[in-house]
This record gives sequence, C-alpha cells and structure tokens, in this order.
Amino acid sequence: MGEKTIVALGTPPGESAIAVVRLSGGEAVAIADRMMDGAKSWESHQTHKRIIKDHNGEAVDDVIAVVMRGPNSYTGEDIVEISCHGSMHIVSAVIEEAMWLGAVVAPPGEFTKRAFLNGKIDLAQAEAVADLISSETKLQRSVALKHLTGGLSKRVRKIEEKLLTQLSLVEISIDFSTEEIETYSNGELTEASRWIRKELEELIGSKVAGRKLRNGIKITLSGPRNAGKSSIYNMLLGEERAIVSHIPGTTRDILRERIHINGFTYYLEDTAGIAEAESEIEAKGISVGIEAAAAADMVLFVIDGSVEPGERVYELAERLNIKRKMIVINKKDLGLKVGRKEVQKITGADSVIEVSALTSEGFDELRKWIYSNTVSLEIGKIVKEKIAINLRQAVALKRTMEALGRMEEGVSAGQPAEILSIELREAAAACGEITGRSISDDLLGNIFSKFCVGK
Amino acid sequence: MDNTAFKKNKYDILVVGGGHAGCEAALVASRMGFSVLVITMTINDIAGMPCNPAIGGLAKGQLVREIDALGGEMGRVIDETGIQFKMLNKSKGPAVWSPRAQADKKTYHERMLKALREQRGLDIVEAEATGIIVESGRVVSVEINGGEKISAERVILALGTFPNGLMHIGEKKIPGGRRGEPPARGLTNQLASMGFEKRRLKTGTPPRLKKETVDFSKCEPQPGDHNPSPFSFRTTGIDREQILCYVTHTNKFVHELITRNIDRAPIYSGQIEGTGPRYCPSIEDKVVRFSEKERHQLFLEPEGLESEEIYVNGLATSLPVDIQEEMIKHIRGLEDASIVKYGYAIEYDFFPPHQIYSSLESKRVKGLYFAGQVNGTSGYEEAAAQGIMAGINASLALRGESPLILRRNQAYIGVLIDDLVTKDIDEPYRMFTSRAEYRLLLRQDNADERLLKYAVRYGLLPKEQWKEGIKRRKRVIRAGIRLSGETITKDICNKALKEVGGKEVGEAKRAGDLLSRPEVELSMLEKYLPDGPLKLSGREKRSLEIRAKYSGYIKRQGKMAERFIKMDMMKIPQNFSYMDIGALSMEAREKMEKFKPETLGQASRLAGVRAADLSIIMVMLEKGRKEKRG
Repeated sequence: MGEKTIVALGTPPGESAIAVVRLSGGEAVAIADRMMDGAKSWESHQTHKRIIKDHNGEAVDDVIAVVMRGPNSYTGEDIVEISCHGSMHIVSAVIEEAMWLGAVVAPPGEFTKRAFLNGKIDLAQAEAVADLISSETKLQRSVALKHLTGGLSKRVRKIEEKLLTQLSLVEISIDFSTEEIETYSNGELTEASRWIRKELEELIGSKVAGRKLRNGIKITLSGPRNAGKSSIYNMLLGEERAIVSHIPGTTRDILRERIHINGFTYYLEDTAGIAEAESEIEAKGISVGIEAAAAADMVLFVIDGSVEPGERVYELAERLNIKRKMIVINKKDLGLKVGRKEVQKITGADSVIEVSALTSEGFDELRKWIYSNTVSLEIGKIVKEKIAINLRQAVALKRTMEALGRMEEGVSAGQPAEILSIELREAAAACGEITGRSISDDLLGNIFSKFCVGK
Repeated sequence: MDNTAFKKNKYDILVVGGGHAGCEAALVASRMGFSVLVITMTINDIAGMPCNPAIGGLAKGQLVREIDALGGEMGRVIDETGIQFKMLNKSKGPAVWSPRAQADKKTYHERMLKALREQRGLDIVEAEATGIIVESGRVVSVEINGGEKISAERVILALGTFPNGLMHIGEKKIPGGRRGEPPARGLTNQLASMGFEKRRLKTGTPPRLKKETVDFSKCEPQPGDHNPSPFSFRTTGIDREQILCYVTHTNKFVHELITRNIDRAPIYSGQIEGTGPRYCPSIEDKVVRFSEKERHQLFLEPEGLESEEIYVNGLATSLPVDIQEEMIKHIRGLEDASIVKYGYAIEYDFFPPHQIYSSLESKRVKGLYFAGQVNGTSGYEEAAAQGIMAGINASLALRGESPLILRRNQAYIGVLIDDLVTKDIDEPYRMFTSRAEYRLLLRQDNADERLLKYAVRYGLLPKEQWKEGIKRRKRVIRAGIRLSGETITKDICNKALKEVGGKEVGEAKRAGDLLSRPEVELSMLEKYLPDGPLKLSGREKRSLEIRAKYSGYIKRQGKMAERFIKMDMMKIPQNFSYMDIGALSMEAREKMEKFKPETLGQASRLAGVRAADLSIIMVMLEKGRKEKRG
C-alpha cells in the first residue's frame, strides 16, 4: 500500500471544457512518458504539450502535462497532471490508458492520505483526512450502488455465481478427492468460461463500440443547399458550444463538432450540401454528401419548408441509403408550404420534424428524437451499459476476462486443478471488486451447502 | 512408574492436557531447555485418538510435515506406528499431494508417551487441573485436584473436548470429555468467570465394530502405497507390512430407517445446541440434506494391528443404540457385525480465538496460552500444530524473545492461526488446502525448506537431526543451479523429447527449461545431462522437479505474497482505540474492537473491514507516531 501509482480525475466529474487527470507515485512519470508520444523531457514544474496515444497507437487527445517531482508536490510523490479535453469519454480513455500501463484508480481520499503520510499535511488535520476518506467512500459506494442496480447487477451476479460453482467443483477435486462426488470437467469449465467471457465482452463493450464512444456517434446533416442546414447545425451546437471542445474536421468539405445529448457524445457533421443543380461538379458534391450520409449512424435530411420542394429533393431524400432517416422541415417561422405527413409519405422517412432554426422551435423534439434513436440502436445499447459501468468496474471486468482466458489456455494445456484454481480465483477476485463479495470467503460454505462432502 | 508424582512444585511451563496439542507443546518447550509439567487426567490417553485412527490427509498431511520441520514429534511417531500409508491426490499436481496414514492407536499412544518420558526436563502428572491462579494480570500457578498449586510463568491450555463435555447417544445424555471419561468443569467455568467468552461446538464419531464379525470379502479392499513416503524428514524409510482398509456403502434401506427415526436424533430433536462441522456431517445429516443420494461411502479402518476394533469412517451418528444396531445390520459386509462402541455426538465449550494473539497467548491473561480444540479447531493435526507453536512461543517469551508468527505464505500453520485470530469461528475449524491463498508455495515436499530454519534458529532440534535436512536442501538447490546452467544440444534434446513424445525443439536448450515442460521427468532427463546424472535421492529429485514445473506460478504467488507481507509488517498497537475514530464504518469499528488485530494485514482480513477503513487506520497510526515523536 502507498506504493502503487494512482490515477484519478482531479476536476469535478461531468462534462466540462477541460478536465485534469492526476497521477501520483513512483511510476507516475514513467507511465505518463509511455502514454505521450514524442515526449522528450519532463522538466519539473513546467508545462509540456503532448499527444496521448492509446496502446493501439490511436490518438486520444491533445493535452498539456505538468510534472511535479516529489517531494515538492502535493502528495510528496512524483505527480503528473494531465489537462485534457473534458469529454467524459476522453477522460475515461486517458485514465484507462494510465491503468493499462500499471496505474490503479485512486481509492477514496488516497491523494490526501499520501500527502498526510508524507508529512505534507499537518498533524492537526489527521481527523479531517480520515473524514475525507470516509465521506468519499460513502459517495463512491452510493454511486457504485446506483450503477449496480437492474440489469447490470443481475448480469454480474450471474457471472459470479457461475465462477463460484466452477471454482467449487475445481476445489472439490483437490480437497475432497477421496469422496464420491462430482468434480469439474474440462468441457464444462471451458464452456462456462466462454459464456462468461462473452457476457463480459458485451458488458465492457466491443472494440468498435469503444472507438465510437471516444469519437462519438456520427450524425450527418444532409440535404439541398439553402435548406438551412448550417443554421440547424449551429442551433444544435448552440448552448453546447461553451462546454464542448472543438475538433477540426479532417475532411475540408465536412465540418465536425462534438455535441452532447443526455450523456451521449455525438459527432455532428455538416456536409458541404447537396446541390440541386445538374452540373458535373455539383453532381460530385452530391455523391460526397451521399457517401458521408451512408457512413453516418444517423442522418438528418433538411429541407426548406417555406417553399414547395421539387421532385429532385424528394428523389434525393428517397435515394439516401441509410438505416435511420429523418427529415427535418426547416423555416417553420416563414410559414410551411408542405406538411409532415405528405413528406413522410413521399420519402418513406422514419419520422419528420418541423423546426425553425431561427426561433429554435421544435429543437427539443429534435434532441429527444436523436436520443431515443440512439438508445434503440445497437450501439446505443452498448453505450448505455458502458456508461453504467464506471471505469474501475470496466477494468475489473477486463481482469476477470483475462484470467479466464489464461484458465482456458491452462485447460487445453492439461494444467492440473490447482493451477486452474489460481486463474479462477483471480477472475472471481476481480469480479468481487465490483460487487464487494469475496468468493474465496464463500467458497467452503458453498461447497458444504451444495455438495455432500465429509466422512 | 508412579503416575501421580511430580518432582517439584515449580516449573517453567505447565501444559494442561496430554492430547496432540499438549504433547507437542510440552516436547518442544523442554527441548528448548525449559522445565515442563504435563497435567493430564489419564496417562493412558496421552496422544489418544478418540475419532478416526489416522494421521494426515488432505491439507492435514501438509500440517504434519510442517510440525515435523519445526522439530515436532507427530511425523516421527506416525512413521513408526502407521499401518497403512497413502499419498493422497497423487493424480493431481504435486502441490496438493497430501500424505495420510492409518495409525495403530495403541502403539501411537505408547510411542508418544515414550517420547515424553524420555524427554529431559519433562514430567507428567495424572491429575485434573481445577483452577488457574492469576495475579495482576499474569498467570502464576495452576491448582490441581482442587487443592495443590504448581507455579509456572507460562501455562498452556490444551483441554480438547473436555470443557463441559456432554455426549449424546439418542435421547441419552452423558457428561464427559470422551467415552468413559468425566468432563472438565471447574477450569472452564473459572475461565468464564474471569471474563473469557466461551461458546459451544459439537462433533461426532461413528460406531466401532468387532473386527472378526465383519465380512470383508463383501467389501472392496483399499491398499496403501507400495513405496510409503514418510511424514518426517528424519525418517529414512518405512518397510513395515501394511494392512488393508475396506470400503462399503450405505443403502436405501438404511436411509429410510434414518428418515423414519430422525426425530430421535439429538441434532434434529433440538437436544444439541452446539454447531457441528459441515464438512464432517453425521450420517443422519447427510441423509436429510442430500436425500437424492442413494448411498454414502463408508471406510472400514482397523484401529490397529492387534486391535479388535474397526472404525466405520463415514457413519458418524448420535442416533439411539437400537437404530445404530439396525443400520449396521443392513449394510453390506456388516450384516453380522457387532458394535463394540456406539457412535455419539459430543458438545463442548471452546474459547473463541479472537481472545488470543497470533502467538496463541491470551489477550486477557499474560502467560496463558490456548492450543487445540479449545480454540475451536478440530483434528489431531490442527491441534498438534497449535501445540508446537504455543510451546515455542511460551519458551521464546521466557527467553525474552519475540514470538514466532508464521505468515500465510510460509505455512499452513500460519494460515490456521491467522484464520483463528481473524475469523468468527462458527463450526469446528478444519484445514483445507483451499484455505491457503498461496497453495503452490505450501507444499508437503518443501515443508523443511520453509521451516527448518526456525528449528535451527531456535534450537528446536538437536544438530544431528537437522544437519542432514539442511544438507539435503543444499543438494537440491545446487542441482537446480546446475540444471539451469547446463546446456543440452539440439540433437540430444530431441532424442530425449522423442522418448516422452514431446514436441521437438529447434535449438539447444538449458536442462532447467526442458525440465519445466510437463512431459519431461527428471529421471529421464538425467540420462542426457552432459555432466552426468545428479547425485540426488528420489525425494530430492522429486522436489527439484516440482520447483521446475511450477516455477512460473510459484514466482507469481511469491509476488502476490510480497504485497500482503508489507501490510503484515505494519503493527497496530493493542491499545488503539477504534471506537473513537468516527470516520471508520460502524461495522469495521465493531470488528476491530472485537478482534484487536495485531497488524494492518490482520485488519484487512476481518470480514466487513474495507479498504477505506484501512486507509483511515493508516492515517491515525501515523498521527500517533508523529505525536510520539513530538
């Protein structure tokens, strides 16, 4: 204790422009160094502009890092403070990367505790430090409990039960080998392990989902020129602008911004606009827009409702090759020349909404629509559960998965029960970090109550 | 010899009880140079076996090997008096092999008694200890037979199941510590009046049959091992003739009989209040709780070479005698068997071990130690393990040295005692390998490697006895170094691998790497060593082999252990006041106030204590230290 390098979010949780992730401990600088590509020097008490890459080499964020070498730091240990963009998913990715490199999520009050143990906080404050640990623990527990209700908790408990059963059977083969009772079989053990791993994979979210989380769910604004697409784009950004980070688009023709609706992050794309004209250049523009729309998770097709839309517009809307299609009839403030039902009938859209980018009328409905469609999408389901699992939990579940992977390898390599048991126990211990249950304490009780052992 | 005479009225150490705990405690303490008196109610019961006639078994075998490495007697006695030896779990990995032996009860007792009698500085008296005399918080003497007092600075209580023992056979209740013996009442009640908390436990034993009335031809014979491995590192070999045990089964009729008469079983009629061990259920318990099982295995174990008694392992019961008779009659092979002794259940008092330190000294009274069943454990081996530790620690205290506390990664003995001082004991505590989180480190083959150093450091064994053990360890280590340095050419590697059907290699390999493969055995590999075969005994080779095969996992467990050792090094003063720390959770406060953990490690193992509570304690400990420094 007191020696592992810890990591935690230093600023209040929730979306903000800038968040500070703090590392403290002997490995802090080494971990930061490995996270940040192109690091050359880590002069103490200086700012360093860096790019964080994840272990797959993908860029996570541009950050400013400050190193404070111990003992001249708050905790008395080496500290690295990383200022990154404040999106929840970026913060998660930064912390996750630090954990990947060996840091552990700081237990409640840990920074302050270390500061105290290293003589950085004076003696009179000892009780205050103790109280801080206690209150942060209560807070964390209530948050964790909230996360553990409903479906997620049921799923994790079921995983735990399976682990306990298999571990009991493995242990019976060792501790009660002289008795006539069933023990584990390689087949069932592997089957159970695979089932659990599949379940965990879903809980933690697939790699694709992980990337989506970091980059956001893509919404493309499409439609003819002058329909007011850009106004809708700006309106959607509107109040968000103050708290979102601006990430310049990679394609010149497409503008991208991050927006947040009910805790989800979206990549909002404003395509250059699909022209109605027939020139060749414009035709190319059309195809770019259509391609962008095809790659999107959701498309908002915007039309100008103040004028009678031409055949061409309807044709375009119909041609969009996408799963979820929504027509946004703009310029309601000017009086609409076309009705919802009519548009829906002609284009076969999933739904049609009337808005005014000028007066903001209809935007609440639009946001609601975006949110409910996200949730009903597959990606939405994963994202929702991923949000329910906080990072500490996700890391614990990952450890469970890894241990089970090693156990399956052990089974196929013909390892004996006492080796398989090591991995099963590791898997169970990691799960227990989430549920607070200690399977190794329950083990003998489970064996005695479910199996007829003893002479 | 006069059994009641003792030479003086003052000893260094008194041991109350002559069971497995008492014997080891007395022997080790006198070997450490102290004068010791064993007070026992009946000399004939020294190292008796009121339950099954066997020593060792799963996890227990490891305990015996550890006791032996600490200079204890149990291993040597069973090596000399065992009548069937078996290495259990042989089909599993060597980390969980466990030696077990059927004991000849009578000669076991005689051989242990001989050891006590021949031990210099050790006296035995046949008497009942009726009181403990305490002055200003320290034990000063023990009262025997309600009168005479014998003084000593250290007293070890190894009372077994005698405290307020109550036996049950059907509706009949007989006060007693075991069959035919009166209970010990005075002492326990006096301890209770001194403020020691006592609670009740229950255990049971099966009927014994007359050997010549059992038809073994109808049962399945169970032979021992061809080459018995001794328990003691000091035993060179066992070449005694071995007996057979037999297996038979209960059946539907017997189960129905039990079900019909279940209201006459004391555990179901409410007559018994103590909690019995779930791992050692009575036959009535098994039939009720696992009604889907059509039969239960019964082991017929002779109680000795000359003994006329057969122990029916698996048929523990407290049903009335007529039902016991009826049951036996309907078991295959036992149709004509006559019962020599009926099975019974016994309730007894124990002193929940949160009242002792991990040195086994009581927190309440200085100089008073508790060992064995009084601490809520079950089993001869568990008792002996505590006995030897109590003996060592009482002696170390007299020498003015700090106690020997074995850690969980060092010995099953460490796991046992640590569990006792950190867990609520709700049923008789028995050792299982699954209780040890560092199971691969705590093997029966390396007990001397782990513990012999303490025998040497504290003088638990005469030099001529440990010399050979140390030499053997050195030979194994040297051979290991040799193997990791010796390179075998690619061709020879493949020749060797071909012999065992292993996958070919593409380059020369070190001998140590080859040995770590599951299919490669040292006896085979040796033929191909460039510098010729190793000069090791079979046992030494085995030990080398296990190290090589498990090396990766052993390292991993070693690393895990390192982390927890740090916590176990952080001491918490006994006067630490948990109740005053408002930041601690209420559950943690209560647990810690009850158990008074000696280290942060122990605190971490208390149920209900969370990581945050440990952080808070660390802060408050630091505060205490800083205040002291000023």
